[in-house]
Amino acid sequence: MEALDTPQIITHIEHNINHSIFDCKWIPCSAKFVVIGTYPKGTGTIKIFEITSGEIQRVKEIERPNSFKCGTFGASSDVERRLATGDFKGTLEIWDLEKSCQVYITKEHTDIINSIDGMGGNSVNCGAPEIVTGSKDGTVKIWDPRQRGKPVANMQPVKGETRRDCWTVAFGNSFNDAERIVTAGYDNGDLKMFDLRTMSLRWECNLKNGVCSVEFDRKDIPMNKLVATTLEGKFHVFDVRTQNPSKGFAQVLDNTTKSGTIWVARHLPQNRDLFITCAGTGQVSLWKYEYPEHRYHVDHQGVACGVPGKLKRLQRMVLSTQPINALEWNKDHLGLAVATAYDQYVRILIATKLNVQC
Amino acid sequence: MEKAIEIQKQARENVKSIQTYMTDLQNWEAEMKRKEAALNGVCEQDLPPIRSKAKKDRPVREIKKAPENRIKSYDYTAWEKFDVDKACEDVDMADIGPMSLDSKKSQQAKEEKLREEAQYEKERGNTFVKSGKWDEAISCYNRAIELVKDDAIYYANRGLCYLKKNSLHQAESDCTEALRLDPTYVKALHRRAMARERLGSLRSASQDLGELLKFEPNNNAAKKQLDALKARMGTKGAKSKSSPLSTPTVESKPLFKPKIEPKITELPAEPVPVLTAEEKWRTGVGENITVIIPVKKPPHLRSKRPLKPIPIQEIELGKISPEKPSTRLKIIEIEDSLAHGDTNNNDSNKIEETPAKAIDNIEEKGEGDKLASPESVKLISESIVSEKEIQNLVPPVNSVQFMAEWKYLKGKDVARCHYLSIIDPLKIPSIFDNALESDVLSDVLRILHDNTKVFSNKTITAYLVGLSRVKRFSALAMFLSTADKTMLTTLLNYCKTAENCSENVIADLKNKYEL
Repeated sequence: MEALDTPQIITHIEHNINHSIFDCKWIPCSAKFVVIGTYPKGTGTIKIFEITSGEIQRVKEIERPNSFKCGTFGASSDVERRLATGDFKGTLEIWDLEKSCQVYITKEHTDIINSIDGMGGNSVNCGAPEIVTGSKDGTVKIWDPRQRGKPVANMQPVKGETRRDCWTVAFGNSFNDAERIVTAGYDNGDLKMFDLRTMSLRWECNLKNGVCSVEFDRKDIPMNKLVATTLEGKFHVFDVRTQNPSKGFAQVLDNTTKSGTIWVARHLPQNRDLFITCAGTGQVSLWKYEYPEHRYHVDHQGVACGVPGKLKRLQRMVLSTQPINALEWNKDHLGLAVATAYDQYVRILIATKLNVQC
Repeated sequence: MEKAIEIQKQARENVKSIQTYMTDLQNWEAEMKRKEAALNGVCEQDLPPIRSKAKKDRPVREIKKAPENRIKSYDYTAWEKFDVDKACEDVDMADIGPMSLDSKKSQQAKEEKLREEAQYEKERGNTFVKSGKWDEAISCYNRAIELVKDDAIYYANRGLCYLKKNSLHQAESDCTEALRLDPTYVKALHRRAMARERLGSLRSASQDLGELLKFEPNNNAAKKQLDALKARMGTKGAKSKSSPLSTPTVESKPLFKPKIEPKITELPAEPVPVLTAEEKWRTGVGENITVIIPVKKPPHLRSKRPLKPIPIQEIELGKISPEKPSTRLKIIEIEDSLAHGDTNNNDSNKIEETPAKAIDNIEEKGEGDKLASPESVKLISESIVSEKEIQNLVPPVNSVQFMAEWKYLKGKDVARCHYLSIIDPLKIPSIFDNALESDVLSDVLRILHDNTKVFSNKTITAYLVGLSRVKRFSALAMFLSTADKTMLTTLLNYCKTAENCSENVIADLKNKYEL
């Protein structure tokens, strides 16, 4: 009975917030999450909420003169739980939320930091704690919280070329202390993959539409799949296991959502082949990537070439009238997610029966 | 109708699953809150280096703890004054490692953490030791010691590494430190004994071993070692007397110079022969020793020049050249100084107990004949050697011992023959390992050939087979002269006729000796 196994997506709690929100993140090892946003007057805010028996309760708020755009807990351990944020002025800050103070602050970007990702803090043996930021100034910078002030790596266009607005960044392939890859998506549809070990551009392509969100299915394994969502309702799933020297990576393109932007795609931490996409129409869709029988074939020249799999939509649900701009799955509880939308609501979503989708 | 039921069932199912999910969620909430309360906000990890620094110093990764004068994270005014640029510089100056910004942790918990960390370093060090990477292991133990200063194990383990690296003084001091922390640490005692033995302080080494035996009376290895040491202490002076040729040139040269590395005081130039000759010392047969007395200088006075290579010449022990007649007298002098330097008293009782008695007697004769011409000394010694030496021969354990004896017996074929006959042919491959040389091989063959009767017990075949199993034998076989090959042929014939050796073995041997 396939119908019985179909996951359900339900809005568990809805909570109205009186300002625009850009990002939301679960605080590791807790039933709390932070919501990052901006007040109409232009000040930035970090709010900490806690789920208490079906209610969202505000625990704490931090307000700063500049609007925050994005945040991540990725570069700190589950015990330290330091939130790294990027703001509209290009400042990167790392927060100690317990004490509501910054432990690290640097302003190297000249424009808004659109996207931030962290890696290395919460897992063992997968490299240095690092933060990557992508900014409107066209640069992608890698930071190590132990090195104050200056980035450890900086990816920017050569002088004279137009600086494209970097919309999204993500870490991946960090399966040991040395290997690490950063992908960055730009407003012109460029998708670039930087290898941090060799400090070189590993691969790039153009997806025709601005890339809103990229994510590896797992950060701390040899890179497996990459999802990139774009404007005009499209998203690409790349099988990044096999890189063909001429063709690059095998990919599946989904453009069944005819309208709106796909703002974000997030893989389930408990199952890397399931991911959710959040569309501009306020609809979320749960997808499953089905691997082909053989993930690559060797062509007549003896070069391996990836084979794309198939995408299967398991469920979709309209949650909001406005675009859902951020979503994060909870790492500790299967099927629990927090999402923010431009309707100024933060929502706790639950998806059932995800455990049967193996 | 059926479909309606199905839909209804599904709906019910969904509701049920949502309900269970909700209860789950509530449990999870409670659990999370409990878990969160248990967190204390600080965790120290073994983090890889900062990327920009990684290239510079990837191999040695030091995690230094607790930078001094840290601004408390709740000290806003201090943070406002915080000079980021300066901090950057500071970071560039020293890799401060992961910043733990929470300092309210209790001392005990911190210590616990440190211990854990140190333990981890130790484990890493141990794995390095297992793979023989002494330097890496030492750096691991260094870190462990840095973290926890009062654990004897780390010192003792580092001592072992130094021992393996021949940094004997450091090994000794580490073991001493370990013993200071734990006087009953048997391993440290043993290691210090080894270090001291190799440093030449036999008496303190034997004290260590004695101490060790108090804790472990049944430690046979230690007992053996102690016996060997005692024998060595007893025979040391006598032995150097008997060694007919000492090399004043070598002795007068400084055998070591302080290394650039300030910690390492000296490097014994000839540790290997001293070490492996244990057995030989016991019987009092062997070579002269050159004892290196450690030079203690404060680091700033030490030479900054690199160590000078000194070619070590092999000197045949049995050789007394007429142009160096006075050696014997000189050796007696050295013997005195050695006895003094090592504070070993060669009381005659001990010498009487050792198997070196016979040789000692010879030496006494030599001493008595101080005024006699060197030639006469040589004659006396040689004649007695040929008679008595034979009785005192011991089978060698390794090629060094064999070669020393073999050279000593040069020109005395009877003694050599006897010496060969006491060697178990089965052990030949292990004795020689890969150090058999072609001239030795042909000597051995010649002796086998000339004295077939002596070897009738152990059979010539066994010897030939034993020799042919020595490593790299095929290369040696290529260098056999025609004379050798003729001897071999006769030997094989002898094997066939007198020892009833099977055709297969003969064919195999022929093949191996390339006949």
